[in-house]
Amino acid sequence: MTISSSPADSALIAARNVTLSLGKPPARVDILRGIDLDVATGDSVALLGPSGSGKSSLMAVLAGLERPSGGSVRVTGRDFATLDEDALAVARRGKIGIVLQAFHLLPTMTALENVAVPLELAGERDAFARAAVELAAVGLADRTGHYPAQLSGGEQQRVAIARALVAAPALLFADEPTGNLDTATGAAIMDLLFARHAASGATLFVITHDPALAARCARVIELADGRIVADRRRP
Amino acid sequence: MSIAWRLALRDLRRGGRGLLLLALCLFLGTAALAGIGSLSASLIAALDAQGRQMLGGDVELVVSQRRATVEEKAAFAARGRVSETVAMRAMADAGRGPVLVDLRGVDDAWPLVGAFRLAPGAIADRPRGDQIAIAPALADRLGVRVGDELRLGMARLKVIGLIAAEPDRLGAGFTLGPPVLVDMAGLDATQLVQPGSLYESHYRIALARPDAAAPVSDALTAAFRPAGFAVKSSDRAAGSLRRGIAQLGQFLLLVGLAALAIAGVGVGSGVAAYLAGKTRIIATLKVLGARAGTIAAIFLTQLALVAAAGIAAGLALGAMVPAIVVAVAGDALPVPPRLALYPLPLATAAALGLLVALLFALPALARARHVPAATLLRDALAPTSLPSWRVVAVMLALVGALVALAVLTASDRVLALVFVGAVVALILLLWAIGLLVRRGVARLPRPRTPLLRLALANLHRPGAETDRLVLALGLGFSLFVALAVIDTSLSAELAGAAPAKAPRFFAIDLQPGDAGRFRAAVEGAAPGATIEAVPSLRGSISAVKGVRVADMKTLPDAAWVLRGDRTLTWSAGVPPRNEVVAGKWWPADYRGAPLVSIEDRAAAALGLRIGDAITVTVLGVDVPTRIAALRKIDWNGLGLNFAIVFSPGYIEEAPHSLLASVYSAPARDGAVARNVAAALPSVTMIRVGDLIAQIGVVLGQIALAIRAAAAITVAAGIAVLVGAVAASSRMRRYDAVLLKLLGGSARQVLAAQALEYALLSLVVVLVALLVGASAGWYVVVRVFELAWAPDWAIVALTLAASVLVTLGIGVLGSLPALRARPAEALREL
Repeated sequence: MTISSSPADSALIAARNVTLSLGKPPARVDILRGIDLDVATGDSVALLGPSGSGKSSLMAVLAGLERPSGGSVRVTGRDFATLDEDALAVARRGKIGIVLQAFHLLPTMTALENVAVPLELAGERDAFARAAVELAAVGLADRTGHYPAQLSGGEQQRVAIARALVAAPALLFADEPTGNLDTATGAAIMDLLFARHAASGATLFVITHDPALAARCARVIELADGRIVADRRRP
Repeated sequence: MSIAWRLALRDLRRGGRGLLLLALCLFLGTAALAGIGSLSASLIAALDAQGRQMLGGDVELVVSQRRATVEEKAAFAARGRVSETVAMRAMADAGRGPVLVDLRGVDDAWPLVGAFRLAPGAIADRPRGDQIAIAPALADRLGVRVGDELRLGMARLKVIGLIAAEPDRLGAGFTLGPPVLVDMAGLDATQLVQPGSLYESHYRIALARPDAAAPVSDALTAAFRPAGFAVKSSDRAAGSLRRGIAQLGQFLLLVGLAALAIAGVGVGSGVAAYLAGKTRIIATLKVLGARAGTIAAIFLTQLALVAAAGIAAGLALGAMVPAIVVAVAGDALPVPPRLALYPLPLATAAALGLLVALLFALPALARARHVPAATLLRDALAPTSLPSWRVVAVMLALVGALVALAVLTASDRVLALVFVGAVVALILLLWAIGLLVRRGVARLPRPRTPLLRLALANLHRPGAETDRLVLALGLGFSLFVALAVIDTSLSAELAGAAPAKAPRFFAIDLQPGDAGRFRAAVEGAAPGATIEAVPSLRGSISAVKGVRVADMKTLPDAAWVLRGDRTLTWSAGVPPRNEVVAGKWWPADYRGAPLVSIEDRAAAALGLRIGDAITVTVLGVDVPTRIAALRKIDWNGLGLNFAIVFSPGYIEEAPHSLLASVYSAPARDGAVARNVAAALPSVTMIRVGDLIAQIGVVLGQIALAIRAAAAITVAAGIAVLVGAVAASSRMRRYDAVLLKLLGGSARQVLAAQALEYALLSLVVVLVALLVGASAGWYVVVRVFELAWAPDWAIVALTLAASVLVTLGIGVLGSLPALRARPAEALREL
């Protein structure tokens, strides 16, 4: 099913006939089967679907973590399908923030250093000052010198959110951000995520299998067997 | 500070423990090379610094079996102050039986350099007339004290003191007996210097300008070599000792290079394991915007810092080795090393260490660059295809630089090139075997038993470390086998008794007219004894195929027959234990122009053939000869053998003495020595057993040096085994936890892992046995020229121990995961 909700030329994300296959025959697996998708600036989108539907893989393609096997993916004006790994890494700088289920903080760096890394990689001079501000915004001003192993799960995810937002990206991806957290902490994290989305104006793209969480987003896209089977906007 | 440097330091601060193996391997390898190089340099420097003292002057002229003429002495004196000494072997007796001594008669001018000292309690400052100074060891053996008398030749001499310092003793080289000193009047009184006696006259000259020693030496060589003099200057003092140190140092450096090569494998394993553990960090950095080049720079910075620390520590230890050796085993050294910092061997060791670190770390570093960001979402493996052509080109350049540096800094470049080539070939062979094992095992039918299935699958699964394990284990096991072969062969040589057919004594300075009395004295003490007596005199080869030896710029090591005087003989028939292998022996009644027969290996070293002309200088007279026959000599029986044998009818008229070998019952040794000493005091009796013991001491020192160097190499080998096993342990720990989760007992899990290591070890053991034994054979037979006599039981035990250690390390590495609760272990993994 091909559904498009906004004109392609003004969309922050414009994907056309995106396919993704992994492995070699006879073990080849088709994960994405012809995805067409436009996402506008400032939107909040939930990607819903059962396990194995291709949600994380679609996010990976849109975030430039994975190169599609076919089709085109224009994100913030650049065709990700034509870029190599290095170019994708550079394309993500300052434009795309990613929050993952397993947090993936750098274990050998403090919370402040973790948040500063994207700015340092982009060559920003005031990386640590801005990182401190971002950590304060997520309520961790008193945890800047702590290493990930010294933080709770919720605190680690807050650091990951701060790291994803410190460069003021236009696009924020969150893949099951509460998957490793208890209910109360997960709820607090989602509140934080939506609050930061509202404050920064970044487009939010959340992957979840929780309908209640999906309902908080302005748009819900349902995926099944690598295809978009539903795309509806909250009235 | 660049971003790569900042991130490298941050990550290293908390997560650098994984690079300890890298640091340890480089520390061991660099310490071995730096230590061996520093020790060799310090010994050579000591020889250089003491050259003048060891020589006893700036220039020395030596002639055999005669003294310099008045004209010759005048010519020497025109160059500077001259001192004459006469050296020979003799028998000293104080009533307990004769003892072989190294006798020197010295003139009043001796010593020209340094000071002669007697131990406290001496009753004169130096021996004069019927006085003698003796070594403390001789005093113990003879049971004499200061003031007692002893007999030497025909003289009775009073012991006036024990020698404490003899400044030119080291320059004398290998001696058979303890030293004794008399003046020239005392020497005359002994009547040991007779026509035909084996003695050397040394003329040392102290120049007004010592820095002119080399050109003066060259001038004196040109003037006096034809008269039979051997000339050397102080910068070439103790030539045989210097050559010995250089050769042993060269061999030990190869052992050090082996340690570094093995350390390199450890570096590769360690770095691979370290970077494998950083996969998620690398992927996270890429998610955050890091390029592959930044990733490479971060980890290259870390590797460089840790490598530098390991190398610096190795250099520090290596630089201290001369001092450590002096403190621990100073007596075993031929000369006290000159303690100083020697930049060249340290710089060479550092450069080699750095090149090895880069070479072996590069493949893992190249793979780490390509870890995809998507690894965070799924276990995407970095590409395992062969390295890119750029990486291969850099590796080839590093190999080229390594080979060039190792070869150009070696004293024996051919040996170094052969060794380095062999190591490279072995590494490639083992890597290829690893790949073959991987592919071969993948094609085997799947076994029914799950543990065997798992063990085989682990050898070829994606990400398996099989080829690296085979390389590390193969190198380590081969090294252990080679060292076991060399060590047991050396030990066999040390422990070996004299060959059953060896004589009990060699007798020298036996005058031809005394042959009958000698035989009677021997047979009187040992009835039925067999005596072989042959004529002998000293001479040297002065020209080969028309080219004067003095004009040859360099002499190859194998051309020992051209160095210095040789003992000559003549014979009507082929001597016993000799076999003519080329040419034809002269008739028994031959009386034509002089012919010679040369030992076959000596001839081969000089490219000599039947009919070639060689000139032998005998007592200052050039004797042109032609080679009539080449002989193969059985040296093993320790009988009297000669590299050069003349045809009869020419040199018999020259003053000569007899050399005799005595074959008698061992129990009669004392009686034979006493009888001969009583009948013929001027005859020197050398006990073969003592000679073998002296050689044993030298071999023992060599064995000690090799074992010390080998110890570091073994340590490096063990570190490599640990690293290789650790590199693959993460995957194995994961398997162990999952099996436990599925109901496997700890015993079953450990059995599966032990099976996997056992399968690998079986493949490696066969290769290691072949390679290690071959390398050991080459060193024992070709380099040391000893008998090939490894103890195969020890070699087998060494291999078995290596396999057990490997299994132990591998199994031990999984124990923590087995002890932990699965959930906890999975979280950590």
